[in-house]
Amino acid sequence: MAYKYYKDNRAYIEALKKTGDLVVVNDEVDWDLEMGAIVRRMCERKSPAAHFKKIKDYPDFEALGAPMATHRRLAIAFGLDPATPIPQISAEYLKRTTGSPVKPKIIDRKDAPCKEIVWSGEDANLFNLPAPMVHDGDGGRYICTWHFVVAKDYDTDFVNWGMYRQMAFDEKTMVGPVLAFSDMGKMFYNKYVPRNLPMPFATVISPDPLSAIASSAPSPLPEAEFTGMLMGEPVEVVKCETCDLYVPAHAEIIIEGVVLPNVMIDESPFGEYTGYRTSPREKRTVYRVKAITMRKKSILAVSNMGVPTDEGQLLRSFSLGLEMERMLKDQGIPVTGVYMLPESTHHLVVVGVKPIYANIATQIGQLVFGSKLGPWFHLVVVVDDTTDIYNKDEIIHALSTKCNPATGIRITEHGVGTPLNPFVSPEQRKYGAAPKVIFDCTFPLNWPASELPVKVAFNSVYPKEIQEKVLSKWNQYGFKD
Amino acid sequence: MAAYDTFIAKEFKDVQEDEEMLTVIRDLTPGKAKYRSTYAKIRVSKDPKKYPETLWVRLGRGQLIETPCSMQIMEFVDVIPKGM
Repeated sequence: MAYKYYKDNRAYIEALKKTGDLVVVNDEVDWDLEMGAIVRRMCERKSPAAHFKKIKDYPDFEALGAPMATHRRLAIAFGLDPATPIPQISAEYLKRTTGSPVKPKIIDRKDAPCKEIVWSGEDANLFNLPAPMVHDGDGGRYICTWHFVVAKDYDTDFVNWGMYRQMAFDEKTMVGPVLAFSDMGKMFYNKYVPRNLPMPFATVISPDPLSAIASSAPSPLPEAEFTGMLMGEPVEVVKCETCDLYVPAHAEIIIEGVVLPNVMIDESPFGEYTGYRTSPREKRTVYRVKAITMRKKSILAVSNMGVPTDEGQLLRSFSLGLEMERMLKDQGIPVTGVYMLPESTHHLVVVGVKPIYANIATQIGQLVFGSKLGPWFHLVVVVDDTTDIYNKDEIIHALSTKCNPATGIRITEHGVGTPLNPFVSPEQRKYGAAPKVIFDCTFPLNWPASELPVKVAFNSVYPKEIQEKVLSKWNQYGFKD
Repeated sequence: MAAYDTFIAKEFKDVQEDEEMLTVIRDLTPGKAKYRSTYAKIRVSKDPKKYPETLWVRLGRGQLIETPCSMQIMEFVDVIPKGM
């Protein structure tokens, strides 16, 4: 049975408009910094998304700014009420993605909106797309900020959809980092590069909201099948013009080409998800463009990474946390929930647990740091089940009062990190290394019950009947909240 | 006098003047192809009038040096193998 979802960004835009979560900008905006500045400010103010109707120099294009930078928009993407609390959105994600994968459905190219316009040869020119200069000082125009790259493994059927940023270098060339531990990095550097073979790719710009969520989720499942689970029915895909890859048929723009082996060119700097430009100008992976297909009056999605909260931080935190919860439960750890704070730029995760045996916090930290998810974060805060993991006040309270500075902080010096970590040394950045830390905010189990501090809160130190009485008369007392 | 910019990985004071170097320059001419990058062999001077083109310099994280340099383009270089 299909869940409620939006097949493309056009239907999603209409849904956002209805709930007041989108502003239509009819004034012409400049792709050169102005659009980026608007989207940046929107993210920092948690403003509605923006539908830009006129872009300077590009009359045949529109843009969607900050498509999913709030939990309201995330809820809408799932077809939920925009006011749905985060735990319920999380429950919906886990419900839909538990069960059997749903294979994509191949449709004919004549039925695929992303084939309405086809540019090949000289026409396939990146500067004919309204690539924004997102931040002043970036290394180039980042055509791909809300997108994913489709690539197939060399000698298996594994197909990966992943968000790898791409900068327009010249008319036919894009460049961007492909980290060696990423799914695409493993298939490209381990299999194509040693054979000196170009790897076909297709970049999907402005995918439907659920395909975007799937492509940024660290699930072990193929993302196309994961999208089908989120939708409750197969995602419709269509074959590329120049290779055997398949892309979502209702996306706005597709860029096809090959990733070049053994050639690297200068890329970045770029305002990154950590809220800094951290990784320096460096030689990175090269994409050569063969064809561009798109919908008529295409709507380019634009994300603007920087200080929180943009959709990269929000979505990545959301799915990283939930996939971590799934993994810990699969390992039999009695977790009560996992929440990764978007404001931490998905660096800090809070794990709620029933502390039924000693050093369970250490076990949790080792499991999550040792998993495929590990490189993306370095702070694990383990709290017991008396702390609401979604409540920042309670997390700070637990961290400040239950974590023993001498015995409750466990540091691992030699973890796997990313070159984008602002806090690591230039040497660690170069080699993708990062220290990791666990904050154990549970009281030790060997303390006698008589020595355990008692939490003083409304819902813990008053008899149930007194709590109920106070709650029932709250407004009667004169309180409005 | 066309305007370009470039990124350098070192400190600005360490830029070697008047020596040929291979780097990426970006064309700042307004229009749809603004910021097009290309590899080129160039000579740079911190004297903004010594060479025919203006070159703005940015450090590795995009920090702009406020005073422009001048540049002579010796040769454009295609670093991508032919046929790719």
